[in-house]
Amino acid sequence: MKRSVPALALILAAFCMISFAAPARAEDAADDTSAVTRAELQGLLDGLNEQLQVLQSDTDKLKRFKFSGYLQARTEFSEASNDSVRVSGSPAAFTTPNNTRFYIRRARLKLTYDSSPLSQAVVYFDGGTDRTVRLLEAYVTLLDPWTPNHDHQLTAGQFNVPFGFEIERSSSVRELPERSRAENVLFAGERDRGVKLESQWTTQLKTTLAVLNGGGVNSADFPNTDPTRGKDVTARVRWSQGVWDAAASYYWGRQVTALTGPDVWTDKSRVGFDAQGFWSLPRIGGGSLRGELYAGKDVNADSLRTLVVAPTTANPVRLLRSGANSAHLATDMLGWYVMGVQNVGDRFQAVVRYDVYDPNTDLDHDQFARLSLGLNAFYDGFTRLTVSYDAITTDAAVGAGRFTDPHDNLWTLQLQHKF
Amino acid sequence: MKHDIRKLVPLAATLCTLALVSFAARPALAGKAITVKGSDTMVILGQRWAEKFMNLNAGQVIMVTGGGSGTGIAALINGTTDICQSSRAMKQDEKLKLRDRFQTLGVEVPVAKDGLSVYVHASNGVKQLTIDQVKDIYLGTITNWKQVGGKDATIILYGRENSSGTYGFFKEHVLGGRDFSARVQTLPGTAAVVNAVSKDPNGIGYGGAAYAKGVVDMAIRKDAKSAAVLPTAATVHDGSYPLSRELYFYLRKKPEGDTKKFVDWVLSPDGQKLASEVGYFPLQ
Repeated sequence: MKRSVPALALILAAFCMISFAAPARAEDAADDTSAVTRAELQGLLDGLNEQLQVLQSDTDKLKRFKFSGYLQARTEFSEASNDSVRVSGSPAAFTTPNNTRFYIRRARLKLTYDSSPLSQAVVYFDGGTDRTVRLLEAYVTLLDPWTPNHDHQLTAGQFNVPFGFEIERSSSVRELPERSRAENVLFAGERDRGVKLESQWTTQLKTTLAVLNGGGVNSADFPNTDPTRGKDVTARVRWSQGVWDAAASYYWGRQVTALTGPDVWTDKSRVGFDAQGFWSLPRIGGGSLRGELYAGKDVNADSLRTLVVAPTTANPVRLLRSGANSAHLATDMLGWYVMGVQNVGDRFQAVVRYDVYDPNTDLDHDQFARLSLGLNAFYDGFTRLTVSYDAITTDAAVGAGRFTDPHDNLWTLQLQHKF
Repeated sequence: MKHDIRKLVPLAATLCTLALVSFAARPALAGKAITVKGSDTMVILGQRWAEKFMNLNAGQVIMVTGGGSGTGIAALINGTTDICQSSRAMKQDEKLKLRDRFQTLGVEVPVAKDGLSVYVHASNGVKQLTIDQVKDIYLGTITNWKQVGGKDATIILYGRENSSGTYGFFKEHVLGGRDFSARVQTLPGTAAVVNAVSKDPNGIGYGGAAYAKGVVDMAIRKDAKSAAVLPTAATVHDGSYPLSRELYFYLRKKPEGDTKKFVDWVLSPDGQKLASEVGYFPLQ
């Protein structure tokens, strides 16, 4: 739109001049001056046309920059009034009693530069929860020159880990405010550094292969180096068949647990399956049913607590307990969710999800389960209100062999604007 | 029994906000206007369809705007238009965006056919080109009319912006996905391209056949051995004109109510006849 303003102004100016000049020319039709006037006008128009072309060229260059982003302003009401409430998703924690809070969950700005049809650079920032601006994504993508739709793309930099479905799905379009618990634990921060190759072999078949550092942006030792000093590999195959699609993902890697002395390396292999089906109800709208599963190995908090001596001021070393088997730090985990979404007209959307995460399938009373109910109301094409309720079930030990479910259910009210 | 009134706060806040959103949404939902947005190639056609349909259905309001096929598809995904007019098929990533928001893959309704014309100035001596020659001209490999049998003059290239479906169709079907020469002057609509070519003896442009007023359609040869074919109703229909395409309506879901009536009318003999009158070609 901006682009057309100078062009329009120039055209209007030329039109006005011609309009004013026309009667004068008619009156003096026999004069030589009419020819002069016409020549002058032609010169003026040519001059304007040249300026227009320069402006056009400049605006074409500017159009290669694309800014997009979104803001999520959130209010949460926690059921407990004396808990140590964690902000959803990201790591910040409130340590004082706090059951109602306003905060900015995500404030994101993405800059995309399409320098040429065959390459693209993206820089993506977040200024949300932790109140500092941080780099979320930064990558360069090369598009293949040998297929009309650039079916093969190579990306290098910092990007979403290509595993499963929900990791790469933008929070700005997700129907519930947060991803599943399993994803939050296993792929905290969702992003990592490396290279990936995406290939769209047919309209149905897409494959993705990536080599990554393996730590992820939320790991403490992420900043500059590869925490495991070995690369992780992930591969995914997705088949899309119109009203349904399904994918299988595999992640092969090693996890490092830093100790005083030699670190412990454990297996971090994971498999994932996801599938989605879509329908459209007359007079109501589209709906979908989605399921996703994560299984494999992960170092969990319980095994660390059990097998590792935590450092203290008096004895600032971090060692395996006597007789502990370091291989047991990584446990078999299982996480999954099932989710239903139904649009109601163009402005409302109802959501229900049940998600489960079991960090150690060999242990009882460590499972996290959550029933989430949500409603999205779309104010316009860019703004929506989300209301959700999370009924969370966990077992907290209250004595020898006795457990209880803490009061930690959560209401979330979120206003999002996407641009 | 003791009640903690604070527990009601989330529920009250939720209900108040929902009421507010519902109230804000009501005028738009209650209105009967059907919005149609998208392809600049189709904007005149859409307006003519809308005018005729409104004449036949008193009280019905249909608002038609252009902006390009890409803009129309974005509006369909954002929920800011009921119908998107597009001169190209929706891309896979656009379908996925629509699915993300509305859980549907959209409904594609072909509404007319079009021949993508290659225009030149009336004084231009070159009357036919092969697709490869057109491709080389727009890639910048051929830069002078004498290289294709014309006079010794630099070829001036005119084209569309990348949000245009015509741009996308031309890039895919003529350039084989390769990028346009940097010398192409991009203009905001097919009418602007025609206008520029009509005033430039060395110009060449492309766009919907319906717009070819004051310029000359180039006869196109599929390859060096094929016959040169002009875009006419017959050649677009039988597929012998190599640059013919379908024009589409896209909707989020199967049309209902007034929208269905409008789409049905567009596909009726009356609607198709109007497409012919505007310069496009009926589906049958």
